[in-house]
Amino acid sequence: MKLYQKLFICVIGIGLLTACGSTSPPNQQLTETQMVIQQAEQLGADDYAPLEIREAKIKLGLAREAVEAKEFDKAIRLAEQARVDAELAQAKAQSGKAEKTVAELRESIRVLKAEIERNQRTN
Amino acid sequence: MNPLRILYDLLLTKASYTIIPMLILMVGCGGPPAQNPLLTSATEEYNAAKQDDMVVRFAPVALKEAEETLEISRELWTAKADKSSVEHYAYLAKQKTFIARETAQLNAANSEISRGEVERQQVLLEVRRSEADRSEARAQRALLEAQSERTLAVEARESAEQSRQTAMEASQRAEESRQTAMEASQRADLLAQRVNELEARPTDRGLVLTLGDVLFEFGKATMHSDGMKSMENLTTFLQQYPGRNILIEGFTDNIGSEAYNLELSRNRANSVKSDLVNRGIAESRIRIRGYGIQYPAASNATEDGRQKNRRVEVIISDQEGNIVDRIR
Repeated sequence: MKLYQKLFICVIGIGLLTACGSTSPPNQQLTETQMVIQQAEQLGADDYAPLEIREAKIKLGLAREAVEAKEFDKAIRLAEQARVDAELAQAKAQSGKAEKTVAELRESIRVLKAEIERNQRTN
Repeated sequence: MNPLRILYDLLLTKASYTIIPMLILMVGCGGPPAQNPLLTSATEEYNAAKQDDMVVRFAPVALKEAEETLEISRELWTAKADKSSVEHYAYLAKQKTFIARETAQLNAANSEISRGEVERQQVLLEVRRSEADRSEARAQRALLEAQSERTLAVEARESAEQSRQTAMEASQRAEESRQTAMEASQRADLLAQRVNELEARPTDRGLVLTLGDVLFEFGKATMHSDGMKSMENLTTFLQQYPGRNILIEGFTDNIGSEAYNLELSRNRANSVKSDLVNRGIAESRIRIRGYGIQYPAASNATEDGRQKNRRVEVIISDQEGNIVDRIR
């Protein structure tokens, strides 16, 4: 066999590997990603991380389209990215809420302290 | 084998139309290590997070996951894997770094919430205590106020009572004064009436009652019965006013010697005194004096004048029994 023939086979092989890395649709990953997105929404991601949750939803949609087009590797990557976006949205929602709670707590402590001061003044 | 020969062969084949561009592409991708902007950016984010004490402390696991993903991206890049793989993991690493940051913030916030809850409970306790203090102070004040008001009320009532008594006493005193005044007035009226009955005339020396000559017989000291009416009135007066004394003065006309008339005037005065003593008037209240022909009341030139001079005058003292003597 001549060298260029070997190279040609090699190139084709790489091309095949790249194009057809997965042969079945990543349904499990899509389902999981969908769940993470739902959790994020339940945690209030629409308020605390609107950009991230939007990104996740768009990517999940693109992943489904990729599945339709039998581009399973692309679908897997999109699903993975959508999931990490949704996870970030969750984290943002949780930390945002916690920050809010901290602020409320601080305010309530401040009010109570002011009340103590007032009570002591009026004594 | 000569590489130039390979190139030459390739150029001669039909397949070269597709293979040559592919080769060029492969050389371009795997060629000298150019920076991948997304991997660089992910690495910078990760390094910044690793420098952040809060992330290291509160989100070590998330940070570790970001690091592992970044490592995959870096290895793919070093192995000259295709760009999309490198960038896929770079993206995941970057997002995981952000997740680590958010997780750190969440954990820090939760930790603060726990501490804050404890503080809030303590402050709440303090609030209740201060409210209790305040309520107690208020109750204390209210009690004091009530006490002082009660004291004031009692004082006011006592003061009112005193005023009432004072007023009553004043009223009683006024009534007494009024009665005293009325009695004094009545006494004065009575005295005036008695004095009127006596036919006495007020003079500088006091009330003077003149018993006229007609009451006495000529040259004698005894009284006519006509004089008895005047004596009765005088007796009644002296009985009613026991504080008053009398001075009885006797006078004559100028017929006869001076010594005789002096004796006669004294006797006449004494005669009046005896009569009063007989009627029950104390002797100590009566003084007598004879003046004879002195102090004529009228001229002795006529019988009418001489008759006026033959007289006895009774001077009634003031309430304390004092009589002003005749000044010579």
